[in-house]
Amino acid sequence: MSSRPIRTGHVRPGETRPHAARATKGSSVALSSPPPQQALVFESRELWVALHLPWLEIEALQQGARAPSMPRPRAIIELQGQTQYVVAACERAQQFGVRRGMAMAAALALVPDLETCARDATRERQLLERLATRAYRFTPRVSLVPPDGLVLEVKGSLHLFGGADRLCRALEVDCFEVGVKPIVSLAPSPLAALALARSGKSQLITAHGVGEISALKLCALRWPTEVIERLQQVGVYTIGQALRLPRAGFARRFGKEHLAELDRLTGRDADLRDHFRLRERFRRKEDLLQELEHHDAILAALAPLLEELGEFLKVRQCGITQIACLLKHRRIPRTRCVLRFAEPAANAQHFAKLFGEKLSSLNLSEPVRGIELRSGDLVSCTPADASLWQPGEHGGENRGVAPELIEHLRARLGHESVYGLRVLESHRPETSWAAAELSARNRPPERAVEDHISWFVQRRPAWLLREPQPLVEQNGLPQRHGALRFLEGPDRVEAGMAVQGRIARDYYIARDVNGVRLWIFRDLRSHGWFMQGIFG
Amino acid sequence: MSAPVPENFSEGLESLLQHPAIWRGRSAAQVSVVPSGFPALDEALPAGGWPSAGLIEILVSHIGVGELNLLLPALAALTGKDSARWCAWVAPPFEPFAPALSAHGVRLERLFVVRTDQPLWAFEQSLISGACEAVLAWAPRAPSRDIRRLQLAAEKGRALGVLFRPLAVAKESSNAVLRAIVEPTDQGARVTLLKSRGGHRGSVEIAWSPCSIQRPTQGRVMPALQPKRPASSAGSL
Repeated sequence: MSSRPIRTGHVRPGETRPHAARATKGSSVALSSPPPQQALVFESRELWVALHLPWLEIEALQQGARAPSMPRPRAIIELQGQTQYVVAACERAQQFGVRRGMAMAAALALVPDLETCARDATRERQLLERLATRAYRFTPRVSLVPPDGLVLEVKGSLHLFGGADRLCRALEVDCFEVGVKPIVSLAPSPLAALALARSGKSQLITAHGVGEISALKLCALRWPTEVIERLQQVGVYTIGQALRLPRAGFARRFGKEHLAELDRLTGRDADLRDHFRLRERFRRKEDLLQELEHHDAILAALAPLLEELGEFLKVRQCGITQIACLLKHRRIPRTRCVLRFAEPAANAQHFAKLFGEKLSSLNLSEPVRGIELRSGDLVSCTPADASLWQPGEHGGENRGVAPELIEHLRARLGHESVYGLRVLESHRPETSWAAAELSARNRPPERAVEDHISWFVQRRPAWLLREPQPLVEQNGLPQRHGALRFLEGPDRVEAGMAVQGRIARDYYIARDVNGVRLWIFRDLRSHGWFMQGIFG
Repeated sequence: MSAPVPENFSEGLESLLQHPAIWRGRSAAQVSVVPSGFPALDEALPAGGWPSAGLIEILVSHIGVGELNLLLPALAALTGKDSARWCAWVAPPFEPFAPALSAHGVRLERLFVVRTDQPLWAFEQSLISGACEAVLAWAPRAPSRDIRRLQLAAEKGRALGVLFRPLAVAKESSNAVLRAIVEPTDQGARVTLLKSRGGHRGSVEIAWSPCSIQRPTQGRVMPALQPKRPASSAGSL
C-alpha cells in the first residue's frame, strides 16, 4: 500500500461531463459494453469505501488477550468433511509457509509448535461491530458485510476529511489501533469496492466505470462455487467477461439474483443496505484465559473493555452516570462492582482509575474467571472545556476537576464517606445540620443568619459530638480529666413540642484542665451534665 | 525598577534589592499567601499569611485548643473567593458543626468531609487533584517520608494542606513549609513557629476576643481590615 493511484477516470473533481454517457449502458445485448474508456465516465452520486479484513479470524483471537512478546505461531483450524484444514494463519505461521486451505497435518509438519485453535464467531462479530462503531465518525451510513467486511458511504464526508486518500488512510489507522489490518478500497458502488478489496487491491476509483473491476476474478463476488464453476466452464473467469454476456441468457442460466448483483456492482441499480445501528448501551463479556486473583491483573483484563467503552461513548457523544462490572467466579455468585458518577463521564482512563480504587477495596473470596461490563443509560453530554491553565494556576480556576476527585475518593471509601454539610432550621444543635449530597454546581449558597454571626461565633463550637456525651459529676459539678472551669453561661435552649423530642437545656462554655474549651449543658429534666461540642 | 538614581541610601538599597538576580530567602519563599485573619500572626508568618500552596503542620496536645479557630478566617477567605475550589476536611475527629462554620464565614457549599481510616491517602489525593483550595487532615501517624510526598502534592495541586498532628512529633524532622505548635492560653492561644520557610521562628499570642476574630475579605496579601460591625453590637442577645 505504498503508493495508491487515485483513478478518477478522465474527470477531475469539479469538472463535469455530459451524463449522456449513462445512456450507452444497458443496451439489450450486453450489460455494459467493454470500456470505450471515455464514454462510461461520470461523477458518481455515491462513493463507497469497503474494508475487507482478510485476517479477521486470527485478529479476533488476539483481541484482549495480552499476547506474550514472542507468541507461538497460530492457525485457525476448521473441520471440513473428514479433514481439518487451516482457515487462517497468523503472520508468523505464514512465514513458515502455513497457508489457508492447507491440511492441519501439513501445517503441523511445517511448524511443529503451531498453536491450533477454533474460530470464534462471536468475537469476530464483536470486532467487526467495534470497527463499525469507530467508522461512525466518518459517516452515518455504515453497513456490516459479515463475516469480514464493512462498507461506508463517504461521498459527503470527503471534503471534511481532506479527500478520498486521506479518509482511507485515517480509516486504516483506526483499524491498526484496534489491531486489525484491513484492505481499503473505494468505488462508486459498495459491491465494486468490496470486489476490489477482496481481490487485495486497495484502489480508489471515484468515477463510474467498469474498467477497474472487469479484470477482477469472479470469486471476488463470493457467488456459490457451483455458479462460478459453471461460468468457468463457458470460459468466463473475470467480472468483465460476465458483464459481456447477454442479460436474458445470463439470468436464465445463472440466476436472476446474480444478474441483479451485477447491476448493483456497476451502479445500474441502487444498492440498498441496512445501516449498522449503534447500540444503546454498552455491554461486553470476557472470559478470562486463567483465573485471576490480583487486583492489578483484574484491572489489566478490564482495561481493554474500558477502552472500548470509551471509544463507544466518544462515537455516541454521550456519557454515562453508572457502570457495573460483574466478576464471575467458579462457585460463588458473581461479584458486582458498581460505579456511580456525579456527572456523565466518558473518559476511559477515569473509569480505569476509579475501578482501580474500587477493586482495591474489594475483598474477593474466589478468583475471577470472567468479567462483564455493563454501562447504564447513555446521557448526552458535551465534553467539558479543557482549561489552558492547570487548576490553581493563575486564571486556572477549574471546577470541572472537582467531581473527579470526589468520585475517586468515593470509589475507594464508599459513597457515604464523602459528604457536604448543610444548615437546617432547628433549635436543637444535633438537628441543626445535616450531611448534604455534593454537586459541583447549582447549589444555592448557604447563608448564615447575619444578625447572629458574632454571637454565634462566640457561643457555638466548631466541633459537635454526634451524641451528647455524659460527664462525670462530682459535688454536682461536671468533670473531664479534672474539674471544669466555667467561662460563660448559661444559655437556655428549649425546643420541641412532642414529649420525646422536647429539650430543655442550659448551655455553658467551660474549659478543662488541658485548656480545651468545651460546650456543655445541663439537662433541665434529668439534671445530668453532658458535653456536646468542642470549640476548635 | 526603572526609577532614577535614588537620592538617599535606603531607597537605593531598596531598588537594588528589587533586582531579579538578587535572591532573598524571605521574599523568595512564598509568592502567594492567604491572610490568617490575625494581624499579629500575619506579621510573624513569612510574606504575611498562610502559604496558599504548601503543607503546614499544626501540632497540638489535644484537639480543641484553638487550632481550628486559628484557621477558620483563612478558610472563610479561601472559600469566599469567586469560583473557589473545594475545601476538604479529611478524617476530622468530630462532626464539623455546620451552623458555626457558616457563621465564621466558611461557605458550606464549597466544603466536603471525608470519613476514612486512610487519612493520608485521601489527604494526598485531595491535595494533588488541584480541585481543592485547602485540605485539612487529622492524622495521628504520619511518617516523615509521607510528609514529603504530601508537601509535593500540595505544591502540585496548589492547595493549602493543613495536617494536625500530636505534640509528640515536634522533635521529628519534617518537610512541611511551616510547623507551628498551638497551645491554649487564658484568653486565646499561643502559636509557636517551629519551622517557617523564609520566616522567623518565635511565638505569637492570639486572643479570641470579638475584635480579634475578624474576617478577612477577598484578596491577596492585605493588612487586617476593620471588623464589619462595631464590637459593641456583638454578644447581645
